[in-house]
Amino acid sequence: MASVTAEPIDTTIEVPGKRTPLVTGAHNYGTVTDAVCRLAECKTPLAWYVALGISASLMGMLFGLVGYLIITGVGVWGNRSPVFWGWPIVNFVFWVGIGHAGTLISAILFLFRQDWRTGINRAAEAMTIFAVICAGLFPGIHIGRVWLAYWLFPIPNQMAMWPNFRSPLLWDVFAVSTYATVSLLFWYMGMIPDLASLRDRAKGKIQQFAYGLFSLGWNGSSRHWHRYERAYLLLAALATPLVLSVHTIVSFDFAVSQLPGWHTTIFPPYFVAGAVFSGFAMVLTLMIPVRSICGIKDLLTDRHLENMTKVIIATGSMVGYAYAMEFFIAWYGGNRYETFAFINRAFGPYAWAYWIMVTCNVISPQLFWIKKIRTTPWMIFVVCIFVNIGMWFERFVITVTSLSRDFLPSSWGYFKPTIVDVLMLIGSFGLFMTLFLLFCKFLPMVAMAEVKSVMPRPHGKGDH
Amino acid sequence: MATTIEQSEETKAKAEPELLGLLAEFDDPDALIEASKKVRDAGYRKWDTHTPFPIHGIDEAMGIKWTILPWIVAGCGLTGGTIAVGMQYWMNAVDYPFLISGKPLFSIPASIPITFELSVLLAAFGAFLGMLGLNQLPKLYNPIFKSEAFRRVTNDRFFVSMDAKDAKFSEIDTGEFLNSLNPINVEEFWSDTESPKLPRNLTLGLSLVGVVMLLLAGLVAYVRTTTSPDPRIHIIQDMDFQPSLKAQNTTNLFPDGREIRPNLKGTIPRGQFKDDNIPFYYGLKYLPEDQDVVTIALQEEKKADDKTATDKKAPAEKPAAPAAVDPVAAKLDKLPWVTEFPVPVTEKLMARGKERYRIYCSACHGLGGEGDGLVTLRAMELLQGTWVKPASYHTENVRKLPIGRLYHTITNGVRKMPAYGSQVTPEDRWAIVLYLKALQKSHQIDADTISEAEKRKLRDIK
Repeated sequence: MASVTAEPIDTTIEVPGKRTPLVTGAHNYGTVTDAVCRLAECKTPLAWYVALGISASLMGMLFGLVGYLIITGVGVWGNRSPVFWGWPIVNFVFWVGIGHAGTLISAILFLFRQDWRTGINRAAEAMTIFAVICAGLFPGIHIGRVWLAYWLFPIPNQMAMWPNFRSPLLWDVFAVSTYATVSLLFWYMGMIPDLASLRDRAKGKIQQFAYGLFSLGWNGSSRHWHRYERAYLLLAALATPLVLSVHTIVSFDFAVSQLPGWHTTIFPPYFVAGAVFSGFAMVLTLMIPVRSICGIKDLLTDRHLENMTKVIIATGSMVGYAYAMEFFIAWYGGNRYETFAFINRAFGPYAWAYWIMVTCNVISPQLFWIKKIRTTPWMIFVVCIFVNIGMWFERFVITVTSLSRDFLPSSWGYFKPTIVDVLMLIGSFGLFMTLFLLFCKFLPMVAMAEVKSVMPRPHGKGDH
Repeated sequence: MATTIEQSEETKAKAEPELLGLLAEFDDPDALIEASKKVRDAGYRKWDTHTPFPIHGIDEAMGIKWTILPWIVAGCGLTGGTIAVGMQYWMNAVDYPFLISGKPLFSIPASIPITFELSVLLAAFGAFLGMLGLNQLPKLYNPIFKSEAFRRVTNDRFFVSMDAKDAKFSEIDTGEFLNSLNPINVEEFWSDTESPKLPRNLTLGLSLVGVVMLLLAGLVAYVRTTTSPDPRIHIIQDMDFQPSLKAQNTTNLFPDGREIRPNLKGTIPRGQFKDDNIPFYYGLKYLPEDQDVVTIALQEEKKADDKTATDKKAPAEKPAAPAAVDPVAAKLDKLPWVTEFPVPVTEKLMARGKERYRIYCSACHGLGGEGDGLVTLRAMELLQGTWVKPASYHTENVRKLPIGRLYHTITNGVRKMPAYGSQVTPEDRWAIVLYLKALQKSHQIDADTISEAEKRKLRDIK
């Protein structure tokens, strides 16, 4: 049997000229399957039920509030003139951003042949799907008359009217729905062989039926694998520009307007960098506890965590650069409204939000330059929590400060969220966590087939 | 290593189960690659290997040709892009032209995002469904799954499967050949004795459900795209059905029965604030405590007037009631009317006043203000009895009226005279008052104070 070196390896030490193994511990193909499938097969621990209970109640609260909103109207939010894009849009951009790490890990790192992605891509993709579900909810209910949401789509109707295809808001509809669909396809397709593994090991009738249905009769044929890998590569190649386009288009919602502080060309790359930044932070926030609880530390090693912190340093620095550049251009461009918008952000009524954002997004990721911090899981976890908070505030600062202080002082206002705003944000985390907990329990959390294919000596002779 | 090829007695006894193929099991990917090369070289065509993960290098070992999947994906992507461009052009530039700020109805830059998204979407579906289609998946029933050993194909075992349909296949020879490849085990797999097809009733039922669903979808599409005079079914009643009141109807919601609501006391309609120049707008020095006194007085006057008019044959010759005995007039007399013009008195204003007077007033009041306008003359001639002859400006009473009161009369009317406030601007009303005063003066002047030249000029006017 092909097995891997028996003694545990400190994966954080780089040995020149030697590749660090991506799987530690005494693992062979069978034990990898066992480790991953155990989660779905073992008796569910009480803690899982407790966690699910909490997050499901938060989710229930969210849906209750959505019902309240639909019956009462969007006035239950703090959105008032002049800030009509309050928390719902902040939450939307935040959640869409969270999703980006999943696609980045699975698609871009795949194209770059970064084999370390195999340990984390499944969970990251799942996170993408769930984040996009949370994201899609907010603009969906923000439109006011929710029952007419289909007006967003070019469907023939008795008004003989079509949507305006030159509106960035409509581009958003297409971008986000395409992103959700392609991510789902990518995730599901990657999961088919692993679902087949679960099917072949399933004991109960229901499990056999469900996993059997969703694995579509996968039998591991090499001819199938050939087309499967080709399809996977093509999907990765399609998802890569897609992930960049989605947040670019989300940024167009802002950048195509005339509002000072929004009308800037830096928005598309800056939004994408921010999205990747927050997404990686969220992957780490989720994976650090999950890998300990689920006992998959061998597959999701410290090395994985460290690699991701390096991505966070890179994207965090890009975000910091963008903040500086926005300020510089506001001054250098000589547009007094623009200049005011940025001075107002830093020293105006929302200065508190701005400085939370700067502290969390610019300063905290720089801590990862210290090796001790980026190799200690709990420290990574703490920093990532800060990054998540910071990125939420970034969206808040962009959305609210610009709207509340536009050209005319006569139309200025101060945005205050209502309790419904706050509870909905919390509830969206409940929705996200509920889906994620269900995923952890019932689906393969690690891409087994892919991990096996990067284990030493899997294909042909020698180290391939 | 087990090399037995066995066949269970029961399976054989049942009803001619067919031998579908042979399965050789390996535990090492390298061994599988070696075995694959041998099977390929032995000339078999219908065979396959099964592995828990893609093994790189097995494509060449098995002689697998490149898939056409990339072409399918490219085709789907192009289709998506074409649909997107066509859709945006047709919907926004042809069928329902959107003209926004003079921008072109169709332009490439604005249609790039959606074109890109739809291309990617269709290409992704092409990749996913194309892969499934080429692999003939989903295929939930597969006789190979009956092998207990084959369950480890998704875990850690590697298999070679030989299809019995292959021209070179023979139960004995192929079995021996497989054994020579050094596998852990070789076994047969057989077709099921039961038909793999769905029961007839189920197929029929499913097709029926499908047809009904399609019909329903078609019906919805038909209804949505045809015009109909009947209202749509409204699950949620939007602004089409507002319980709002109509201006000219009656209601029992309010005690006065009116649906249109009068202004609340103390409110000023937009654009109606006039308190910053009371003399100019009201002809009053200041507004008295009871701001409505003017309006009330006027309403009472009108009411009383209407009564006399409808009280049948009022004597035709009856002149207007003298202002002194009229209680309303008495009320009006008490108001603090202005006595000086709140506008600069100029030659130009006088000319304007003359012009406006001749347009609005002379028809009844006459060019000289003696109450002998053409309308008056004709009305007197008809003797209908409904006409109140306008008073002459040159009576003592009228001459004594302060100019603010004259202004008020033009604005709000008096007796049969309608209100001209809505037709003549305040500025023009003052101009008329000015001209009226001039007319009155013209009747008071002693002829001796006028020079001969002027007299001649006046005569020439006639």
